[in-house]
Amino acid sequence: MKLPFNLRNFDGPLTRELVREPGKFGLGQVPSKVAPDATTTMVCGFCSTGCGLKIHLKDGQAVNLSAETDYPVNLGMACPKGWEALTPLAAPDRATTPLLRNEKTGELEPVDWERAMVLFCERFKEIKAKHGAESVAFLSTGQIVTEELAFLGALFKFGMGFVHCDSNTRQCMATSHVAYKQSFGFDAPPFTYADFEESDVLVFVGANPCIAHPIMWQRVMRNPHRPEIIVVDPRKTETAMAATQHYALTPKSDLTLLYGIANILIASGWIDRDFIAAHTNGFAEFAEFVTRFTPDHVAAETGIVVADLWRLTETIAQGKRVSFWWTMGVNQSHEATRTAQAIINLALITGNIGRPGTGANSITGQCNAMGSRIFANVTSLLGGHDFQNADHRAKVARVLGIPDERITSQPSLAYDQIVQGIEDGAIKGLWLIATNSSHSWIHQDRFNELLKKLDFLVVQEMYTTTESAQRADLVLPAAGWGEKEGTLINSERRIGLVKKVSRAPGQALADFHIFQLIAHYWGLGTMFTRWSSPEAAFQLMKEISRGQPCEISGIADYAHIDAAGGIQWPWSEVNAECKNPPAEWRERRLFEDGKFFTADGKAKMLFDMPRAVAEPTDAEFPFVLMTGRGSSAQWHTGSRTDKSDVLRKLAPANCYVEINPADAKRLGIGPGDEVSIRSRRAFITATAFVTSTVRAGQVFVPMHYRAVNRLTHAAFDPHSRQPSYKYCAVSVGPA
Amino acid sequence: MSDPELRTLVDALLEEQRTLTAVERFARAHERHEFPTQQKHYRDLIPLNAPQSGEQYAFAVNLDTCTGCKACVSACHSLNGLEDGELWREVGLLHGGTARAPFQQTITTACHHCADPACANGCPVLAYEKEAATGIVRHLDDQCIGCQYCVLKCPYDVPKYSEKLGIVRKCDMCHSRLADGEAPACVQACPNEAIRIEVVKSEAVASEGRMLPGVFESSYTRPTTTYKTSRDMPAAVRDGAEKLRLEHAHWPLIFMLVLTQAAAGAYGAASALGGVLPVTFATALLHGGLAVSILHLGRPLGAWRFFLGLRKSWMSREILAFGMFAGCGTAFAAVVWLGWKMERPLAIATLVLAAAGVACSAMIYVDTRRAAWSGRRTFLKFFGTAIVLGLHAYAMFAAMPQWLVIAVAVQWIFAGIETRYHLCALSDDDHPAHRSALITKRLLGAVEDARTIAMLLGAACAACAFITPSRWPAAVAFGFAAIAAIAERYAFFAGACAPRMPGGTAR
Repeated sequence: MKLPFNLRNFDGPLTRELVREPGKFGLGQVPSKVAPDATTTMVCGFCSTGCGLKIHLKDGQAVNLSAETDYPVNLGMACPKGWEALTPLAAPDRATTPLLRNEKTGELEPVDWERAMVLFCERFKEIKAKHGAESVAFLSTGQIVTEELAFLGALFKFGMGFVHCDSNTRQCMATSHVAYKQSFGFDAPPFTYADFEESDVLVFVGANPCIAHPIMWQRVMRNPHRPEIIVVDPRKTETAMAATQHYALTPKSDLTLLYGIANILIASGWIDRDFIAAHTNGFAEFAEFVTRFTPDHVAAETGIVVADLWRLTETIAQGKRVSFWWTMGVNQSHEATRTAQAIINLALITGNIGRPGTGANSITGQCNAMGSRIFANVTSLLGGHDFQNADHRAKVARVLGIPDERITSQPSLAYDQIVQGIEDGAIKGLWLIATNSSHSWIHQDRFNELLKKLDFLVVQEMYTTTESAQRADLVLPAAGWGEKEGTLINSERRIGLVKKVSRAPGQALADFHIFQLIAHYWGLGTMFTRWSSPEAAFQLMKEISRGQPCEISGIADYAHIDAAGGIQWPWSEVNAECKNPPAEWRERRLFEDGKFFTADGKAKMLFDMPRAVAEPTDAEFPFVLMTGRGSSAQWHTGSRTDKSDVLRKLAPANCYVEINPADAKRLGIGPGDEVSIRSRRAFITATAFVTSTVRAGQVFVPMHYRAVNRLTHAAFDPHSRQPSYKYCAVSVGPA
Repeated sequence: MSDPELRTLVDALLEEQRTLTAVERFARAHERHEFPTQQKHYRDLIPLNAPQSGEQYAFAVNLDTCTGCKACVSACHSLNGLEDGELWREVGLLHGGTARAPFQQTITTACHHCADPACANGCPVLAYEKEAATGIVRHLDDQCIGCQYCVLKCPYDVPKYSEKLGIVRKCDMCHSRLADGEAPACVQACPNEAIRIEVVKSEAVASEGRMLPGVFESSYTRPTTTYKTSRDMPAAVRDGAEKLRLEHAHWPLIFMLVLTQAAAGAYGAASALGGVLPVTFATALLHGGLAVSILHLGRPLGAWRFFLGLRKSWMSREILAFGMFAGCGTAFAAVVWLGWKMERPLAIATLVLAAAGVACSAMIYVDTRRAAWSGRRTFLKFFGTAIVLGLHAYAMFAAMPQWLVIAVAVQWIFAGIETRYHLCALSDDDHPAHRSALITKRLLGAVEDARTIAMLLGAACAACAFITPSRWPAAVAFGFAAIAAIAERYAFFAGACAPRMPGGTAR
């Protein structure tokens, strides 16, 4: 007998909500409600790992994504940000029209593109006429595609005729850029991710890849050689937990430690004399220099006992394929460049470079930090060229079809100097592109106060709600990753493709289109007609790269990059002409021939005496404040990751501070208590996370929370001018 | 006026922006793939064969390679089409150790597909199915009535209630994927192969100890997930989510419990006093309580199936007991209204069913095994509320001030017993309800104050009762006693720390 109702419902509309079906396209099962009718692979737009994401498309529109199995970078895996990459595109606070601040009400009000463009040009031209070409600057990003960065740099300097511009890569990669350029003759990270799998010793200095670069850590976990994993970090991070050796050094004593290691290596004869003689300069001076870093001295400075220092050094000495990796713990320091070069020197003296599983390897931060370094036309002329070099200027002018004199040799101010320029009244107009300086710049209150001095602030952004957009006079609504085409360059120099898989909301335009509009409204006539599409711009970049270490002239077009699963530079016509490229060309490293990009082909050993930190602790501010990445679910200032409910649930909602149990007890702070953190610049509150993973006398606050950079002290590395986010003095107490 | 040529450029670029090009230009590469390409990564992470009789699937986590990237969480979300913010897998943190050897360990966790699932045992409508062939604990979304009892029952905080859908959902171990030889989403997505699926013998599933330090005893539900580590986990390891927080208050349940217990007491008063007014009052309280309970259900239309769970679920039993209580109590009232002679047997039957109903209510919470909801405490609270409000009702209808004094005194005695228990739990770090006592002290101070004030005002009413001969002081005192009971019941829910898997940092 069939009842007119079921006693138990095994099926029904709610059950069908979650039904899965075979997804085809090599996907396995997918939720039926978002089953794709096509798929395509593109590179992720968060970090520099540069993972391939398989976009699930329905009627041309992205409906879901998964990690691409066959992409040589990530091998079928992605971190939570990658999995959630499409979600931020649908956020309700997307900028959908240009917004202009109403001078009477002080509110941002919608205007059309026409008015926005006319005003943009009028105001900046006015400022230029009144205060000169050095009075307007831009601060851009490592988050947009290379074609857009190149267009922006060319437009601003050669077209609009301004001088000063910089990028938020100053906050992450400037140090690596300068260190490599000085040591190797070109900004050339030598590694490929396969090196993670090939090493028998991996040394991570100031890097927490488990959290910051989980997919690179995946490659470490795939290493079949049971490697020794050494982590040098003041905190017992997730990576330190997973390591075989962890050295919790005193914050910012890394340079001393590295020189101490070099001293032991050299004194013990654990070095590769043949390699040093054939491929380096400056060894004798370096060897003499490091003798003053005796084990006892190093132990006293770093807090690492002599026996541990020997164990660390011996592990390096005994490794046959030792790779050295660093990130922001090194780059964001008051003596960052020399620290990075101290790591480079260790690789050079032990001959650990140019072979599988070796290298002095800087892990990049942003998805296109390298695109920005090479092609943004900011500190280097397009394509890693030199503004000072007349031949270089002539070459670029020829490729772009512009008069030579449009390219001047005048160097640009760095980020911090532009900020200083605002204070001094020299900079009157500022244009922020895809960066959120009002949150991320060091000593934030000063920066935000200075913005008020500007005559005109333009913010080109995806969202109206970022701290920077909220302060703008004019907001230009930008399309985001996935809403436009272009290429990104990852940490291992791999050029990957971004595709247009989602419609930008309202009148938002790709940055590339915005630059096309500006070129037009600025009245530059035919000067930028060659920049007709991102792919046309890519062809210009290819030409410009010819003869450079970063040559990409052998890449045919976007379809070629797509088919190849990304292509690492260099890829010249020589590579392209090879009929059957060997499989290992898919993952290539540099310097296998021992030739560096310096004039004599030898790497340089550079060093300096360690300097005291800019703001040491004292009785009033007895704690060292360190900042850094808090979770794998948060990206920088959160302007995108905070838009995903999933990602928000994967990280604490409120700012928190890691504090050692002994300090907490002494100060009467319990787990979860509100605490106050005070520096000479500001006072903030945060939730206490009482943990022994941070040492007594130190506290750590993740950089993703707005308040953090109110505390940080604006000190800079003299060579790279990168801000030192990892050290300032604070006091801590119950709120 | 704007130049038409300039407008054209804006329009042309906007049009170009709206044209999606990826399919046309690039989307041919994957068309030939028939089989899941990801298979090569997870082939060794799932069993070759399906479970045999007496076996089931289980998650096995290698903590040595779980480094907290949380890819498993988002992959599960994306590959299962979950609601915004709905998570079936989570990653928490254990930390501790010493200054010399600091320790932290991230913990990935989802449903443990228990051998003796508490969620299924508590469900009044059998909306859980422990699959015979696989051992996977499936939630039947269309059977669920949204009572959320499973949320209270699960000691690992697995079932999640969706306000929007009105039901609970949870991890199904990607049963359809496993059936097709594919790995669950989390297994597919872990960069470090930390999660795998194993076949375990059902009888070999641990029935003692704990999966991890600090999580609930396995004896309750026999969770099948295993956590393996080669590291020495310090004994005093702590949960990353240490910050005290309030639990869900469940307002409809607060009112339902207070009203039905008040009704039980009021029927007692009505039995003793006779007359139309007291029994009418008691009946109104009861029906009010039952009506408000419906507000607690996400999908009340399926609630008629409550009898399905009678074998195991105290929720089913409560519904049955209250149904009978309501029938009998209403008949009792009707007999009184009509002046029929059957008053006495109906009164006795009503009181017996009332006691059964209140006892079932208490058992619902006792059966969750939350420390704060121990049997002694819960029965004391629930029957205490019935007695105190019953005495207040008696005093009100009898209009005898001395009875109001007795009612107020009994209320203070019950409160005193409870305070003693609270202080005991608060002062003893090892007391099972210590954390709940801390929550009550630190986060529910205002609620406790409100209760005390209501009780003091009730006492003041008792004093007034000696001055005026009317029943109004007693009626007002009944109101204050009810407010005090509601405050107490709010603290009962919000202050009962739920057992969970390790949570995230400083959440």
